[in-house]
Amino acid sequence: MTEPITTMPSPFRMDYTYVAGTGRSVFLRGLAERRLMARCCAGCEQVYLPPPEFCSRCLRELEPPFELDGRGVVSTFCVVSFPFPGQRIDPPYVVAHIQPHGAGTRLMHLVREVEPEDVHIGMAVEPVWVSDDELDTSLLSIRHFRPVHYGGADA
Amino acid sequence: MRDVAVVSFAQSPCQAANRRDDMADILLPVIREAVYAAGIGRDDVDFVVSGSHDFYEGRTFSYIESLDAVGAWPPISESHVESDAAWALAEAWSWLQLGEGDIALVYGIGRGSLPADLDQVVPAQLDPYFLAPLAPHRDAIAGLQAHAAIEAGLTSEQGMAEVVVRCLDAATGNPLAQRSGQVDVARLLDAPYVSSPLREHDVAPIGDAAAVVVLAADDAARRLAERPAWVRGLDHRMDTHYPGVRDLTTSPSTRRAVGRAAELAGFTTSDVDIAELHTEYSHQEAILTNALELNGAVVNPSGGPLAGRPVTATGLIRIGEAARQIRDGNADRALAHATSGQALQQNLVCLLEGDG
Amino acid sequence: MSRRVAVTGVGQSKQAKRREVSIGAMVREAVTEAMADAELTFADIDAVVLSKTPDLFDGVMNPELYLADAMGAVGLPVTRVFTGGSVGGHAAIFGAHLVQAGLAERVLVVAYSKESEGNFTWALSRGLPFSAPLGAGAGGHFAPVIREYIRRSGAPEHIGWQVAVNHRLNAVRNPYAHVHRPDITVEEVRDSRMLWDPIRYLESCPSSDGSCAIVVTGEEHAGHTPRPSAWIHGMAWRTETGHFAGRDEVNPVAGQQCAADAYRQAGIDDPAAQVDVAELYIPYSWYEPIWLENIGLAEVGGGWKLVEDGRTMFDGALPVNPSGGVLSGNPTGATGLLRFAEAALQVRGLAGEHQVDARRAIGHAMGGASQFHALWVVGSEKPEAAW
Ligand SMILES: [Zn+2]
Repeated sequence: MTEPITTMPSPFRMDYTYVAGTGRSVFLRGLAERRLMARCCAGCEQVYLPPPEFCSRCLRELEPPFELDGRGVVSTFCVVSFPFPGQRIDPPYVVAHIQPHGAGTRLMHLVREVEPEDVHIGMAVEPVWVSDDELDTSLLSIRHFRPVHYGGADA
Repeated sequence: MRDVAVVSFAQSPCQAANRRDDMADILLPVIREAVYAAGIGRDDVDFVVSGSHDFYEGRTFSYIESLDAVGAWPPISESHVESDAAWALAEAWSWLQLGEGDIALVYGIGRGSLPADLDQVVPAQLDPYFLAPLAPHRDAIAGLQAHAAIEAGLTSEQGMAEVVVRCLDAATGNPLAQRSGQVDVARLLDAPYVSSPLREHDVAPIGDAAAVVVLAADDAARRLAERPAWVRGLDHRMDTHYPGVRDLTTSPSTRRAVGRAAELAGFTTSDVDIAELHTEYSHQEAILTNALELNGAVVNPSGGPLAGRPVTATGLIRIGEAARQIRDGNADRALAHATSGQALQQNLVCLLEGDG
Repeated sequence: MSRRVAVTGVGQSKQAKRREVSIGAMVREAVTEAMADAELTFADIDAVVLSKTPDLFDGVMNPELYLADAMGAVGLPVTRVFTGGSVGGHAAIFGAHLVQAGLAERVLVVAYSKESEGNFTWALSRGLPFSAPLGAGAGGHFAPVIREYIRRSGAPEHIGWQVAVNHRLNAVRNPYAHVHRPDITVEEVRDSRMLWDPIRYLESCPSSDGSCAIVVTGEEHAGHTPRPSAWIHGMAWRTETGHFAGRDEVNPVAGQQCAADAYRQAGIDDPAAQVDVAELYIPYSWYEPIWLENIGLAEVGGGWKLVEDGRTMFDGALPVNPSGGVLSGNPTGATGLLRFAEAALQVRGLAGEHQVDARRAIGHAMGGASQFHALWVVGSEKPEAAW
């Protein structure tokens, strides 16, 4: 007689305020100035990047922030090879775990300016920052990482 | 049964909106305080269990962020409930019964201030087909319950205001309360309704805080606390979901939980000196007092949730506060209650006792 | 306080996109089947544990409240556990703990996900505040770990394809599995679309709706039905922090310790020889050798050789995921419990078409960035002593 009701859309909208926290805001402010700010725990000598306010191992406040140059190595990576919603660049592209020199933690970021098939574990990389007008308190202030070309300032 | 006790409790101040600290920054100082107060280090903890909820945090897997704050290295034995941390404490208490370890750390963290509008969030707790699409105001179902409670002669708008006056007065002695002070009933009754017959003061103020309880078993408890608050009985029960099916003026699940807890404890609620009740609304004190058959106990000496309600930590704070009264020697026996869901759908009761 | 604990009832729903049933009805399918298997009524149950992955995935907050009636949980203690993808394993273990501690006689453990009902992409693409939206996607986390495993072990690339084929062929024997591809071949997997290099489409798990339920009871209550019980010989959970220097995500210490603890309880000192079958949490095919090594069923660097030699195939010496596993059906909230339940079915001799010869079986679950680990060993024989 009548069609059964099989689905019923029930849209929700929820808006949130995210709190950065004092520890994280040091890092975010640094990004807006092209600076990667790390902090060290005096208890276990772990260097956190990004740094929280406390060392979870030792339950103590971290030491004052200091700057790292962001150069590091690819500890591992994958090549995103297919399109899906939310992408900002066309596949294929490389998403890598980067181990910055001097940091005890890893950052996840894009590796570009190199063919995906030429990326390898252990490859030396450096951050490429956005232009002045695009700088923001966000990891997107680093556009991506690229291979370090030794043998000249800009070679 | 192993004897298990609360040996330490700490919480951060209840704040309407903490815009300075992230989850880890709120939580870590509280963990440090509770752990140090027990005279132990992080590595002495045998089991960690927590309570929080993604819908308040506005992101999936938010609990992993709090766990990173606690630090799980070397690996730990650990679990999590996606609800009030009082249920995490229940899990810790069960785990300690196994005898695989002696010390458990329980934490709850909740930030009710992150959702821009709780009216967008709270209806998601309801049946997604029949109730959630109605998108009731966050206090609407509590309003129905309050009205029914008044009709049943359990309380009155005047009586509800008197509960609020008593709680806010008690909260003046609680530096971590969100709201406190001397107010008078007549002035409260002049305020407009938010969801009649509820006025703003009848609604526990939602906010942000973390709470941490350290539980220890047997000799470890005796070693870590001068006067441990022994968990003599603990139980929790669930009622049916549909408000239209329930008699909102009673709380059968509370009644059942306290019956079982009293059986385990070997004493009844007429023996308790103080009771910390998870009253999200002032009218619920009357419903709970009935269901628990409280008789002469001082209710919510901390001020209770009407003085501050950090989501998913409020129930655990009740247990911590009840235990504090025992540990400080102000009570020999105490009751703590926690709730989850709309209009007291799910309830937990914990009976505590000091050494005689 | 400790005593022997057994699984006496197992139920599950068909895994698929289940638009024809409500959440409550789908949960009830598994609950009804588990209760019938255990020959119990709701009046016999003392406590309920609910396992569910993020509530934002399908839009119901605290679903234990709405599901109280569907789970037969009115009047009972209900605990809602959530520990990432391992949650089903955590829930099973917590349920067993309640019995072991003497706090309950019979516990119903329930698990489900119905992600087709929510906007999954929305929930995941909300982005984490303060981290860069890199567009890594769901497999973007696991693919780098797999790459590292391949580099370390020197495994040939067809290992991942072979695992994908093995599990899908197993799934043909399991009517509850989501994916049924009886004609799948290694070439087909190899030629399927590259998603997150090195992960190909057919090496990945689907997104499924589905539910699972089990009944765990104390020793006194086992043996009351004609069907055999699965005895819990050992169980453990371990968690480790996600990001710190020197963390080995290919072979996480938490996973090693979790397995070692469960084996110790079970009196197992040579797991590869003493375990007959394993249901492991393998969302991408390369996780078969990764977990085999992590939980001590293969030597480090040698997990892929078990695949190469066919030992983990259905009729091999150590079959892995005879049910078809996560690669053949992934209702995330239930996926972990399904592994634990399938292990129980194997030692009970009730696995139907996908039954293998098994006296001792492993159920395993993993969550987060390989941070959460849960594992139990179940056996057809009553363990010698309670722990
Ligand atoms: Zn440290």
